[in-house]
Amino acid sequence: MIICSNCQHKNPPGSIFCAECGVQLLTGEMTTQAITTGKVLELVGDDAQMAAKTVQPAPPITDSSWGSLHLLESGQILPLNERDEYTLGRISEGQPVMPDMDLSPFQAYANGVSRLHALLKHDGKRVVIMDLGSANGTYVNGKRLASNSERLINHGDVVALGKLKFQVLVR
Amino acid sequence: MPASPDYYALLGVLRDASVEEIKRAYVTSAQRLHPDKNKAPGETEMFLDIQQAYETLSNPKRRAQYDLSLPKQEAPFSPVSVKISYSRPNLVRLNEPQLLYTMLEVGGRAQDKDVPAPPLNVCLVLDRSTSMKDAKMDLLKAASIEVMRNMRAEDIFSVVTFSDHAEVVIPASLQPNRSKLESVIRSIQPAGATEMYQGLEAGFGEVSRNLDPRRVNHVILLTDGHTYGDENACLDLAARAAQVGIGISCMGIGNDWNDTFLDEVAMRTGNTSRYIARPLDIQKILTEKFRELTRRVAEEVTLEFQPPPGVSLNYAFRMQPESGPVVIEKTMRLGPILRDTHLGVLFEFTVHPLALRGVDTAIILEGGLKVSMPSRPTPVPPLRIRFERGVGAEAGNEPPSGVILQALSKLTLYRMQERARAQIQVGEFEKATRSLKHLASHLLTQGQQGLAHTVMLEVENLQRSNGITQEGGKEIKYATRALMMK
Repeated sequence: MIICSNCQHKNPPGSIFCAECGVQLLTGEMTTQAITTGKVLELVGDDAQMAAKTVQPAPPITDSSWGSLHLLESGQILPLNERDEYTLGRISEGQPVMPDMDLSPFQAYANGVSRLHALLKHDGKRVVIMDLGSANGTYVNGKRLASNSERLINHGDVVALGKLKFQVLVR
Repeated sequence: MPASPDYYALLGVLRDASVEEIKRAYVTSAQRLHPDKNKAPGETEMFLDIQQAYETLSNPKRRAQYDLSLPKQEAPFSPVSVKISYSRPNLVRLNEPQLLYTMLEVGGRAQDKDVPAPPLNVCLVLDRSTSMKDAKMDLLKAASIEVMRNMRAEDIFSVVTFSDHAEVVIPASLQPNRSKLESVIRSIQPAGATEMYQGLEAGFGEVSRNLDPRRVNHVILLTDGHTYGDENACLDLAARAAQVGIGISCMGIGNDWNDTFLDEVAMRTGNTSRYIARPLDIQKILTEKFRELTRRVAEEVTLEFQPPPGVSLNYAFRMQPESGPVVIEKTMRLGPILRDTHLGVLFEFTVHPLALRGVDTAIILEGGLKVSMPSRPTPVPPLRIRFERGVGAEAGNEPPSGVILQALSKLTLYRMQERARAQIQVGEFEKATRSLKHLASHLLTQGQQGLAHTVMLEVENLQRSNGITQEGGKEIKYATRALMMK
């Protein structure tokens, strides 16, 4: 039984989204996490039960993690924890260099993400991003970056690889 | 004819097919290819071949002999590629039922892109009841003329109108002289009631006259109203159409039509209904439909299966090419494959403890996948499909596959509106309100402000008058469906 943290509905094991309220369920099986919809719920719901649930549960992030990517289209969160440097891109056939993070499950191809699109780096304090000469460019908060030069990323900045947008959440 | 024809391929059955299956396959092909009925040249020869195949395979002794002469079980040629993804790395030994999601993706082969687009055999079934008068009728006529102009020389085309009775306005043929037909369409006058069965049956008749597995055989129904009393007849007709390989797509114009019913008619043939909110969009959506029909590499993919004991299939939904629910029955009609878009169907299973008892690998579904391709008129042998998962003591650590997560995040929204509508039906207005509010908040997080707004307006309607508007209900249903197609 998986109890939904948002509405307390009991879902059978193996559920991925709560059958009652549609929130992505958190289980040990998953590395992606539900995004809390705290603010939005306040906007929409006025009944007390929903308002009570807007308190953000602390996302269970492992210790080594230094941030995460929040994909705006699908609402999924990809943790950044295994390494300090991530190349972002998509894996396609016959490709010699693989990106560390493959974005093809998120329609990277349709959104114009290059195979090796950008580099996201963390040096203990700062997080920087660098465009790796992608075809459709890397944008931070709507501004296109010059290729191969680093740009500082602040918590909450919206990065677009081509048209694929995500928010960088820095820990 | 090669020295030893593959009798199994001729009949379109698997090497290990049962006598029953062989007989059924023979009867189906024989009916279609019988010299009294067949149309295309060469079909009489094919009829003789399948007779020979049946004579050999129906006799156990001769079949065994024939099997020996076959080359050893080489991987059977398959015109499609199949990919199966699961939501979990393994099932867990539990004392309670658990859920498993499976995504089945069926795509054409790369070389299919070079196969010319299949010719069509299409009938437009147009509602000309009184309610269609003025702008709606004019735009419908204009749209029909436009698609007719865009037909290729090899396409067979017909038009049927219906109100109290049906009328074949343009009989099915290759239509070499199209400009004449335009005036025929222009002269359609609206009058009378909406008797859908009449129209569908006439449309079915027109397409049947030129029924050809080398074509995409399809009926497109356009209506703006409810039919009264002949719903079951329509559904039966749809089932019959599906059996002979005719698809039915439905399009509802405006708000006063029954989307559940039209969906069901189309679903029986592995197709879906579309919502045309404004008559101005008739042409756009009709043109889209035609473009989709000419891109079909496989007209239909069906899955024949029996769930093993302890496993039940709760829900099946086609994510693409045209998203829509799939009827759960013994032979499931999953939908078409387009040359640039594979077929993707998501299944939700409940696995009961019974299915896991004493096994290391649980079989979730076992069946045969049949593909009918206009470019290959002989039946393609079905592919064995098996969904299975290992059984472990604990849940694995792998995340669910990206395709499944993506599909489910959208499908969840669609199911929430489905749920809200079901709750309204049985009078659970408070629950429905909650469901719709949840839906609105998810739509907002996914950046669908407009649609979220529509949902909130319906929440207000629900609180005020214990019901939602026809318009809002349809908008929410078809828009959440469209989200999946992006």
